[in-house]
Amino acid sequence: MGIVIAVISGKGGVGKTTATANLGLGIAMNNKKCVVVDFDIGQRNLDMILGLENRVVYDMVQVMDGEANLKQALIKSKANENLHFLAASQTKDKSVLESQKVEKLVAELKENFDFVILDAPAGIESGYEHTIEFADAAIVIVNPEVSSIRDADRAIGILDSKSAKVKAGDDVAKYLIINRIVADMVESGEMLKSDDILEILNIKLLGKVPEDKGVIDASNQGKPVVLDKKSIAGQAYSRISDRLCGQKVDMKDIEVSDSGLFKRITGIFK
Amino acid sequence: MFGFFNQKKSASVAKDRLTIAIMSDRDRTNGYPFMDEMKAEIMEVVQKYIGVKGVEIRKEVDGDMEALAIDVELDKNA
Repeated sequence: MGIVIAVISGKGGVGKTTATANLGLGIAMNNKKCVVVDFDIGQRNLDMILGLENRVVYDMVQVMDGEANLKQALIKSKANENLHFLAASQTKDKSVLESQKVEKLVAELKENFDFVILDAPAGIESGYEHTIEFADAAIVIVNPEVSSIRDADRAIGILDSKSAKVKAGDDVAKYLIINRIVADMVESGEMLKSDDILEILNIKLLGKVPEDKGVIDASNQGKPVVLDKKSIAGQAYSRISDRLCGQKVDMKDIEVSDSGLFKRITGIFK
Repeated sequence: MFGFFNQKKSASVAKDRLTIAIMSDRDRTNGYPFMDEMKAEIMEVVQKYIGVKGVEIRKEVDGDMEALAIDVELDKNA
């Protein structure tokens, strides 16, 4: 039996789909069987980030409606054979999601994979509630920026009230990834520190991802940035994936720029 | 940057603003369903002794401590 993780955010555009793709691939690189499912119906994007847009024949709505079976709809990644992908429907809208159908789909995926990662619609949209309902855990993605953090708090609030696990008296595990950190700005006090964000949201940290131009370059090519060993964002996603697979990986301090680090080191000799 | 005598860094401004905004967001979503009823009853009780214009109730959270702050606005003309 696998674990179901919903990747969520308050507002859109914080890097949720990019995170889903990279964590999925990073987990697969740890030799775990992983499936990533695009729940952002009507705004299909995960296929592009994974470079699989031309391979989509059946989508998850067709599987839920019994028009296709899971085997037909699952697409194997070109980058790693442990990674599979289930596309969102492009023609329908988010209102097609129904609790019972989602539950059945998630249960079937859980039987076949070690990790089931759901790319949720933004927390303020419909469809979000159904994506999180049957998740065992949630990974919240924020940018170090006020609107993203405020909306994330609302999304967490909905998670806490709608999760099936919470309703059953259990806890749904929540972890935070802070994406697009610019070290120089944190140092100069122009960007929120991760400690402050954790304090405001009252949530555990899973990882920090630095701003990296390589992310756009990677999505241009449909090759998730975690494949690029030189990319600092890719390295961050690799560390986070290893953590999710149970490895103990120390939190890297990416909130210190190289020049800041230099100052610190030279400071020792003063 | 805000001028020569650079006051507060924007990140700490952001932290303060977020803390307040999120607290009031949470209040609104986690408010008690009986709040309106309670307001009306408090008003009734105070009304017996002194004129009241309105009652405002807020839930305040400070770390582990939660409190209800009740403001009663008096009616000067009464």
